[in-house]
Amino acid sequence: MSFSPLVERLMESLRVLPGVGPKTAQRMALHLLERDREGGRRLTAVLGEALEAVGYCRRCRTLTEEEVCTLCRSTRRDERVLCVVESPADMLAIEEAGGYQGQYFVLHGHLSPLDGVGPEDIGLDRLETRLAEEPIEELILATNPTVEGEATAHYIASQLQGRPIRLSRLAYGVPMGGELEYVDGGTLSRAFLGRQPFAGD
Amino acid sequence: MQPQPAFLLHKRPYRETSALVELITLDHGRVRAVARGVQRPGSRSRGRLQPFTPLHLTWSGHAELKRLGLMESRGAAALLAGEALLCGFYANELLTRTLPVELPVAEVFAFYGALLEALPFPERRAPALRRLELALLEALDAAPVYMDEQGAELDPQGRYAYRAEARHFVRLAEGGLDGRTLRLLAQSDWSEPGLAGPAKGLARAALAPLLGSRPLRSRELMQRLAASRHAAASPGA
Repeated sequence: MSFSPLVERLMESLRVLPGVGPKTAQRMALHLLERDREGGRRLTAVLGEALEAVGYCRRCRTLTEEEVCTLCRSTRRDERVLCVVESPADMLAIEEAGGYQGQYFVLHGHLSPLDGVGPEDIGLDRLETRLAEEPIEELILATNPTVEGEATAHYIASQLQGRPIRLSRLAYGVPMGGELEYVDGGTLSRAFLGRQPFAGD
Repeated sequence: MQPQPAFLLHKRPYRETSALVELITLDHGRVRAVARGVQRPGSRSRGRLQPFTPLHLTWSGHAELKRLGLMESRGAAALLAGEALLCGFYANELLTRTLPVELPVAEVFAFYGALLEALPFPERRAPALRRLELALLEALDAAPVYMDEQGAELDPQGRYAYRAEARHFVRLAEGGLDGRTLRLLAQSDWSEPGLAGPAKGLARAALAPLLGSRPLRSRELMQRLAASRHAAASPGA
């Protein structure tokens, strides 16, 4: 037995979501149609609105429906420190970890010559303008510790040569509560190279 | 199958938790495969399956696109950063773009491995890149033949331009490369210090027809970086 064309189309459409296969899509569709039409209506309304209204913040390029996002407007954030991340999810992770009080810049990707992603595709021209206009003293390169993330960090760093901006890169390290025995070789050798002076008092 | 020595050239996400990978392997040349589950958070293979890391791999399937099996690292990854990383990207893009799938290229594999070892040292980069390019050209039967259009040997006193499509040199009144340098290039492996400039030019000319009209993005990136650095070094220029 198969469902009517419209129900089939609904299931097919639900599968655009990550992690949703045919079975899950069927459960979702049946749930909305049979048990929660009100919730479904809310979902369509919000979804439609969000897709229309949400864009990139003019300053940090994170996702927002406002011209400039709340974090960028906040007066409590340190305007002299800027952290460059690959995605809004990375930005959120850093925020949730706490401790960072500066501003952000979201690239929405990384340099990847083999995929044809160049500097203009990740808004590096925007970053440059921002660095020229704002009183930024330190730039934290928090791109992912992958080869592409590393290349992106290198490219940004080279662009900034000769400017009085302090550059830093997130350290590589052994995960908290981890055991050295199980840490992969790459992380371990980088953690060794980047070891910190230790003052036991 | 026995695990094959291999390097990952490129990985792109595929479906939810898998990746499409391009590999260069010792006995089977370039191999394309699906690596299932490697993009899953916490996957142990995720960290292992990285470019510039020596690997041991197995795969299955008879179609062009294989299914990756076992993955093990067989040594420390080259710690590449900055310029060296971009050179590594260049090598990866070059191999992905020019090598046909499953053409055995053991020489190219060997020189690729040697390149990764050389990349952390700035002075060893160019010679290692030239050796890889030459091995690649030889494997693809596209290396220059040091003859003129009549099939005669090159005159040490003459000036020449390379015609990559025909794989021979044509005489020029001026400019181009001089015959003496070309005769040296013909004998050596392109990596002698004095030959760096001409060898680079010749490699580029010889590779051009293999790459077609689409430029190498990693080379563009290196050039843009060099240009911006130049601008930073001499403000107002």
